[in-house]
Amino acid sequence: MTMSKIVRTAAGWLFPFILVFGFYIVMHGHLTPGGGFQGGAVIATGFVLLIVAGSYGDISRRITKASLSGGETLGLLLFIVTAITGLALGGTFFANWLADGGLIFGNPVLFGANPGDLNTAGVIPIMNLAVGVEVLGALSVIVLYMLSGIAEEGA
Amino acid sequence: MRLLVTGAVVLVLCAGMLAASVGLEYGVPAFSDMDDYFIQHGQEQTGGNNIVTDIVFDFRGFDTLGEATVLFTAVLGIGLAFRKRKEDEEYDYE
Amino acid sequence: MIDIIHGIVLAGLLVSALYIVRCRDLLSAAISFGIFSFLLSLEFYILQAPDVAIAEAGIGAGLTTAIYIVAIRGTTRWEEVSG
Repeated sequence: MTMSKIVRTAAGWLFPFILVFGFYIVMHGHLTPGGGFQGGAVIATGFVLLIVAGSYGDISRRITKASLSGGETLGLLLFIVTAITGLALGGTFFANWLADGGLIFGNPVLFGANPGDLNTAGVIPIMNLAVGVEVLGALSVIVLYMLSGIAEEGA
Repeated sequence: MRLLVTGAVVLVLCAGMLAASVGLEYGVPAFSDMDDYFIQHGQEQTGGNNIVTDIVFDFRGFDTLGEATVLFTAVLGIGLAFRKRKEDEEYDYE
Repeated sequence: MIDIIHGIVLAGLLVSALYIVRCRDLLSAAISFGIFSFLLSLEFYILQAPDVAIAEAGIGAGLTTAIYIVAIRGTTRWEEVSG
């Protein structure tokens, strides 16, 4: 089963904007409402829009289950490795070892109410990115798996 | 009779929700010591501006790890249920 | 003003939830569940929880509806009338 050409074209045009908005929510998770889980869910919505608009055979050539579940595994691994590095550097598990370090995301944060700087907060943006990639892979691969199970039975 | 009971339950639910929403004031949550501690010390202890993200990824990092693991396990289960079967594999669900 | 919007949203939540339970057409129930999730995310936003509102709008209104519709495509559309 496939949707009409109008739906497919609109989904193709809408997809990049949803992607940009989702990554905005993920990367600004330490400044504005949102974060890894919410942004990943928004990006997964874009993927599901693409999956639902096209036929299964068409989609499974462009988006494979292996890449999505591989991204999910990569996100979880990045999350755990970031947490364990805090332990290895002499802190605790989940210690914020990048904050105020001068490296990436290392600017010192201003205290009190302030407009915010993207280049602060240490490991929190990295963990946001990890959780975002994981949620995006997990939620899209669920729909892809279910669609493949139905396409197998020829419905 | 059933319709009457259903209608009465719905009415009571509606009235309860409306009464509860009218009695409370927006933006004035109940007082608690934990909130005050997070709001006052969250910025200097974690280095992040958004207090919600600070709590989710720093103070309560283990909960987020558990949540990620739950999601991973859910996808594992769905992949197991919908995997491609071999040609001669027999179904044995009962 | 916000009280009126809040009341409308709560009433819509109740109506759509009752429709999900009562309706025998599963496809209509799935769409009604999408409306329920959207109203719930609006309610979260009114109650000043934008984080939860974004998550609810993405997962509840977007993904869960798609998953339900995919599942309905694998079975029949109409609920069986039992006893």
